[in-house]
Amino acid sequence: MCMAVPSRITAIDNGIATVEAFGASRTTSLMLLEDEVAVGDYIILGPGGSFAAEKVDPETAAEALAYLTEVLATGQA
Amino acid sequence: MVPLESGLSISLHLSEDRVERVEITSNRPVQASAMLDGRPPAQMLALLPTLYSLCGTAQGLAGLEAVENAAGIAAPAAQRMARHVLCLVEVLAEHAASVLRDWPVLLGEAMDPAAVKPLRPLVAATRKALYPAGDWTAPGGGRLAPDRRALDEILRRFDEILSRLFAGPPEERLDGYADFHAWVAHGDSVATRLLRRLDGEGIASFGRTAPCMMPEAGPHDLDRRLAGDCGGSYRSHPQCDGRVFETGPLSRHPRHPLLAALAARHGNGLSTRFTARLVEMATALRELEDLVQDLCDDSGGLAMGRTDGTGLGQVDAARGLLAHRVELREGLLQAYRILAPTEWNFHPQGPLALGLMGASGLDLEWRTALLAASLDPCVPYRIQVTGHA
Repeated sequence: MCMAVPSRITAIDNGIATVEAFGASRTTSLMLLEDEVAVGDYIILGPGGSFAAEKVDPETAAEALAYLTEVLATGQA
Repeated sequence: MVPLESGLSISLHLSEDRVERVEITSNRPVQASAMLDGRPPAQMLALLPTLYSLCGTAQGLAGLEAVENAAGIAAPAAQRMARHVLCLVEVLAEHAASVLRDWPVLLGEAMDPAAVKPLRPLVAATRKALYPAGDWTAPGGGRLAPDRRALDEILRRFDEILSRLFAGPPEERLDGYADFHAWVAHGDSVATRLLRRLDGEGIASFGRTAPCMMPEAGPHDLDRRLAGDCGGSYRSHPQCDGRVFETGPLSRHPRHPLLAALAARHGNGLSTRFTARLVEMATALRELEDLVQDLCDDSGGLAMGRTDGTGLGQVDAARGLLAHRVELREGLLQAYRILAPTEWNFHPQGPLALGLMGASGLDLEWRTALLAASLDPCVPYRIQVTGHA
C-alpha cells in the first residue's frame, strides 16, 4: 500500500527539489506543493516520487522515520 | 526507489499476439503494520495519516474505528458524522487529483498544476475546520467544534472545481444517459476528452469482465481472515469464497442510473469505470453539503470501555474498501493488520488481470495503462509486454 517516507530537502533548483531518505537521493517537482519549502524541510512525495505532495513538520517526520527505520531493521518490508 | 516505497509490476505475456497470461507482482509491505504492535493506540493513530499519506484520512479513520471497536467505545453520532465528512472530502480530493493530474497524462496532454495544487490543502483544512485541536484521530473522539464558515468555503471551492470540470452542475451531465452523451460529445474538459477518445478508439468496453463487485458491507469473512493472517498471504492476495472482488467507485454505486446505462453498453469496461469516479465526485459533494448542515459540537474524550478485545474498522476510501484489524492486550496494540483496496483490484486473478486476458493490438501498453488508471492503484506501476510476434 501507499507507505510514505518523509524525505529531507537537500537542494532546490528552479522548482525541483533534491531530497534524501534512508541514504537514497532523488529529485522531485515542487509544482504541486502549496506550502513554501526550503532546504532542510521534510516533504512526502506522491506515488512514484515525481511530485512532492505535502510538507511535514520536523517532529512528525522524525516520528515516522523512527517507525520506518524499525520496519526496515526487522525486515518487515 | 527509496526502501519501503512500493510499486506494482504488470507483465502481459502474449501468445499469437493475444494476452494469454497476466502477471502482477508487488513489493507492497503488507506486514509493515506489525511494527505498530506494542504501541499505545492513541500514539499509533496520530502516526497513521503520515505513514500512509496518500489516503491518510481513510487510514486514520479505519484505525480509529478498529481501535474503538476493540476498546468497546461507541463514538457519538456527532463524531461519526464529522468523520464521514473527513472521509468524503478526501475521496473527493483524491478523485479530483486523479482526474486533473493523471487523466491528462493518459491523453498525452500537459497537466494544469494550478488546478491540482489546492486539492490536498482542502483535506488538511477540513480536519482543522472540524477538529481545531488537531485531535481527529483520538479514540473516544477529539474535540469537535465545526467551523461552519470554513467548511462552507471548502465546499464552495470543491463546487467550483466540479463546475469547471463538468461545465455546469454535475447533475446536469450525470443524471441521465442522453445528457451525459451530449456532454461527452461536445464538452471540452479532460473528462470529456478522455471519454470521447475511448469512444473514438472503440475501446469504451475494454477491460470488461464478469462483474464481481465488493459487497456493500465488505467480505463476510473479513474479520476472521484478517485474524488468521499471521503470514500476510491473505493481505497480499485476498479472496472470499474463491472470488476476488472489484472495489472502488463502481462497486459503490451499483444502482446509479447513468452507470447502469453505461454498464448495459460497455459492461464494467473503461468508460463505465472512469465515469463511476465522476459520479462519485458529484454524489460526495452533494452528501457533504447536506452533512455540513447537521454537524454539531462534541467534547469527545470517551474513555476506553475495556483494555482487551479485538476490533475491525472498514472505510470506503477513494480507491475502495480499506480495512484495519487490531487486538488490544492490556491497552496496547497487537496483531495490527491492514488490507488496502489495491490488493483486490490488482490481484493476479482480480479485475485488472481478468480484463486484460485475450487482449490484442499494437497499443496494448496504453490500454493497460488506461485500465490500471480506471482502477486507480495507490502505488506506481510498470507495464511490460513480452512475446510480441
